Amino acid sequence: MYLELEHLDKRFGEKRVVRDLSLELAQGELLCILGASGCGKTTTLNMIGGFLTPDGGRILLDGQDITPIPPEQRPVTTVFQSYGLFPHMTVLENVTYGLKFRRLTGQQIRERGMSYLELVGLADRAQSRIQALSGGQQQRVALARSLAVEPKLCLLDEPFSNLDAALRTKMRHELKRLQRELGITMVFVTHDQEEALILADRIAVMEEGALAQLNTPEELYRRPATPSVARFLGVDELEWRQDGTVWKAIRTRGPI
Amino acid sequence: MSKNNPVGKGASGDALFPAVRRLADRLILLLLLGGICLFILYPMLCILWRSLQGEGGLTGDMYGVVWEQYGRSLRNSVFTATCTSLLCTLFSTATALLISTGRGWRRALGMGLLLITMVSPPFVSALAYIQLYGRRGWITYRLLGLSWNPYNCWGVIWMQSLSFVPVNALFLIGMLSRMDRDSLMSARDLGAAPRDILRDVVLPLLRPGILVCVLLSFVRSIADFGTPVTIGGRFTTIASDIYLQLTGYSNLEKASAMNMFLLVPSVAAFFLYRWLMGKTGPVSGERAQQQRLQLSLSRCGAAGWLALVTGGLFFGMIGLQYVCIVATGFIQRTRGALSFTTQYLEELLEYNSETMVRSVIYALIVALVGTLFAMLFSYYIYRRRVRWNTFFDCLATLPYMLPGTCFGIGYILAFNHPPLKLTGTAIIVLANMLFKQLPTTTKICAATLSQIPEAQERAVRDLGGDQLNVMRDVIFPGLRPAFLSCFAYNFSSSMTTAGAVLFLIDPGHQLAVFKLFDAVYSGEYALASLMATFIIVIVLLVEGGVYLAMGRKERSHVS
Amino acid sequence: MKMKKLISMALALVMVTSLAACGGNGGEQSSQSGNVSTSQSGAGSTSQEESQTPELSGTMKVVATGDMYGPLFDKFTEETGVEVEVLSMSSGDVLSKLRAEGGTPSADLWFGGGIDAFMGAKDDGLLEQVQFDAAADLADNYKDSEGYWYSKGITIVGFLLNNPLMEELGLEAPATWDDLLDPSYQGEIIMSNPAISGTNYAVVNALLQTKEDGWGYFDGLNENVAYYARRGSDPLNKVIADEFAIGITYIDGTVEALLPDYDVTIVYPEDGLPWVPEGVAVFKNAENVEAAKYFVEWMFSDDENLTLLAELDQKTGVKIIKPSLEGVEVNYDTSILMEEDLSLFGSQREEILAQFETLMGDKAVNE
Repeated sequence: MYLELEHLDKRFGEKRVVRDLSLELAQGELLCILGASGCGKTTTLNMIGGFLTPDGGRILLDGQDITPIPPEQRPVTTVFQSYGLFPHMTVLENVTYGLKFRRLTGQQIRERGMSYLELVGLADRAQSRIQALSGGQQQRVALARSLAVEPKLCLLDEPFSNLDAALRTKMRHELKRLQRELGITMVFVTHDQEEALILADRIAVMEEGALAQLNTPEELYRRPATPSVARFLGVDELEWRQDGTVWKAIRTRGPI
Repeated sequence: MSKNNPVGKGASGDALFPAVRRLADRLILLLLLGGICLFILYPMLCILWRSLQGEGGLTGDMYGVVWEQYGRSLRNSVFTATCTSLLCTLFSTATALLISTGRGWRRALGMGLLLITMVSPPFVSALAYIQLYGRRGWITYRLLGLSWNPYNCWGVIWMQSLSFVPVNALFLIGMLSRMDRDSLMSARDLGAAPRDILRDVVLPLLRPGILVCVLLSFVRSIADFGTPVTIGGRFTTIASDIYLQLTGYSNLEKASAMNMFLLVPSVAAFFLYRWLMGKTGPVSGERAQQQRLQLSLSRCGAAGWLALVTGGLFFGMIGLQYVCIVATGFIQRTRGALSFTTQYLEELLEYNSETMVRSVIYALIVALVGTLFAMLFSYYIYRRRVRWNTFFDCLATLPYMLPGTCFGIGYILAFNHPPLKLTGTAIIVLANMLFKQLPTTTKICAATLSQIPEAQERAVRDLGGDQLNVMRDVIFPGLRPAFLSCFAYNFSSSMTTAGAVLFLIDPGHQLAVFKLFDAVYSGEYALASLMATFIIVIVLLVEGGVYLAMGRKERSHVS
Repeated sequence: MKMKKLISMALALVMVTSLAACGGNGGEQSSQSGNVSTSQSGAGSTSQEESQTPELSGTMKVVATGDMYGPLFDKFTEETGVEVEVLSMSSGDVLSKLRAEGGTPSADLWFGGGIDAFMGAKDDGLLEQVQFDAAADLADNYKDSEGYWYSKGITIVGFLLNNPLMEELGLEAPATWDDLLDPSYQGEIIMSNPAISGTNYAVVNALLQTKEDGWGYFDGLNENVAYYARRGSDPLNKVIADEFAIGITYIDGTVEALLPDYDVTIVYPEDGLPWVPEGVAVFKNAENVEAAKYFVEWMFSDDENLTLLAELDQKTGVKIIKPSLEGVEVNYDTSILMEEDLSLFGSQREEILAQFETLMGDKAVNE
């Protein structure tokens, strides 16, 4: 498998926030880690990103054990919930920031930055200040910045939670398109069942630090492994794409 | 007022007298602005008036004299202030980075040293400085064998730079704690080494704060007379010349004119500061984060090492200074031979505790009233934006720019005749302390205020509350963190500043800091050191007590 | 002793009258008057003081040069019932404060400080005239002819040498003012700014009066002086702290008391000691002028009080001020005191200080 988490464990003081978590993910797939707040999903993401060191277990990416590699050297990038854009730089400077640390000429950096900005439809805002952009635009800059370094794996930590509903829907589809187009492997953390069902190739449901179920959206929805997973999904109806993936999740009752 | 109302606070009980409550709101505003006019504007005008007085009535002659005579001192002042503000900002930034990235006992020790430095009375630091780095200082001469002379402008710059650090560093630490952690993580994630993060993200984001430190240190250095008087040697600044005019020549007209003169660079710096703040916007509105700044300075290249070395140097010098101060209190020197003694401690314990008690009471009053004043004032000026708010805001900043002694003289000039005869009373001393410290406390409140969402305020109005409800239910609870900082600042400043109230104290109202001054003056360094230690301990105890009390309230509030 | 009895008697009467007059402070004062009258029972002479002594009450606020005078003021309180509150303040600060107060002083008595400040205050009309019989016993030189100020002592000025430093630098001890011009002392002499220090102002004025080329002398001295401290006690403190080898400083009992603990030498310059009287005056328009005026009279009229003062001050110059004083002997050779015309101290002050400032400033520029 492309990404393998093997028996990950993490404690904060007395509290064991991630318990014996094992996951596998194929190249080019998008995995959603789904769970209520406090279930350990962000902690897991931070361990994959290298910002937290696991207390046990290891992380393999493309056959390599990346557990001891610091984040700046990991071929993994993260799109943060609040984007973490640099307010003192222009849009293009933000997008090309990671490229400074690769062996590239100024010309190459510029070109690659612009091509990713085009990809997210913001080429005309290259020289804008970050503060001058709307929330959705900032989100796209953050995404372009993470993708521009062409990582082996891109992590997204509830990236759409600051957007309004309409924009969120739009961004979900855009992300899915980009991911397919570029064939990038992604891990996406969310607490929104609808989002997970729409985006994911596979969903990992986490409960109290442990993996409750890992499967495709269809399987997960059809055959929840535990009553709590079923309750958490709380979705009544799904609309399907022609290729058999979820197009829309319809909720007639709220999750409990 | 809501007691009669079983339904809850707010509704009918408060609404019964809307007109009365509106009046109360106006009255508070009037009281605040009146206070500012009476205790800042009026004394300032008195100084201006005095500076225009010549033998034959009103004249601007004094300004010509001052310009001719003190042009050099003014240049010295500006030079010193420029150097001090740069050096001090370097120290402050390094210290702030060191503390923000540090952990465990080192962080605690750093914060502790900063707090101690902030609450230290003047004079004793200068003494320790001479003992350590004087012509025959323990470090400079005995240890390093240098024959360096500290009695010049470099000594002044060095000492000012050290003593201005705490306020700046605490400000920068606050800013660093509010810095968006995701930005830092992103940079790291994208492949930036610590060195790049520091250079590309941390320092640029800190830039507005660094600029503020530069400008505030500049203004403070211009107004500081104590340092050049103590260790300036032949070096004169405009502030030290003013001191000389007051103490040596008792020439109020000239001193007043020199004061107006000194305001020129300070006011210029202040407007630059306002302009910059307007450009960069208020300090980031994010809430402080618990998370430590994860950055290993030793891996940050040259800039990181510079921060480590200067920060370390600062803490080393400050630490040594306090070791020196405490040690002086217990060491007896007999013909060069040193021996341990508790003799001075016994002497101190025999001292009349009355002045110490009075100092503490005064400081408590100023801390409470001053904090309340600053909270209300910042609410009306920055939130309600009452008419003339810019004017009053500038007015409230003036005391920061004046040497303390002059602000005191202004008070005597203003309040020596009925119906405003306050000289010889405690009120004049309290008011002077309060308004001298107001510039800092209002800025603290304003910064905190900007973090209270205006939506909360609107919600109160929307649900039927009036301005007074807004104050009680939103502003005061929201300003709780500012209350702590203001209280601590007011209390320690009132306990330790001497310059401003030097001329206002009368024999019936002696304060502890002047006892300390007397001890320094008469060469009783051991006693002075012990008194300073004692004052520091009292200030830390009181502030720690208030912090704990407020913290408990906070905790019970949350749960 | 007779004087003391008379005063005490008068005071007892005052107490009784004031007790009758105001019931407010009664409790405290009744015990006072009781004490005084029991100790005085039997001493029955009707003196003039009775009618002259004002009714004393309340608190007397004092600005003094230091807080060592407690016992003297305690004695005053004990004998008169007037509480005394003291604040230390340099004479220059007192004068500034007085001028700013515009005739509404917040203290009653001014106790100590260079006489030049007192002269300035008199010229500004800030002082109250005080006349009393015993003033006649005071030497004319040391009191204002109109009674606006008196002298409570004399400060003399000499050199204080730091022996180890002198040795280390290979310096000979200076014996005269002229010796201080020796180039080998360059940067090792410290004196106070004469504008701030009454004693060092006395040095400047006295040497200008006695030397032929006074200003030439100070030009030369300026070359050797490291800097002019902005506090009167700095020269002493800095020499003790090993910072400078030679300090031009006041010399009194407190300086002598340093000798066992510090390796320093006191030099009384052979070519003369500059000196300056320390003033005592009452502030005009003060709240308790009467008590302050009476204090001046009380102190100068009773040798016991002056002896106590001399002890507290650790200075013996009070004997020069009141030659008839018994129990105090001058502990230095009065013949080496410089010939000074005190009247010039006040009148020349502005001019001298202005010139001195130019002289100091020139060196600062050259640095």
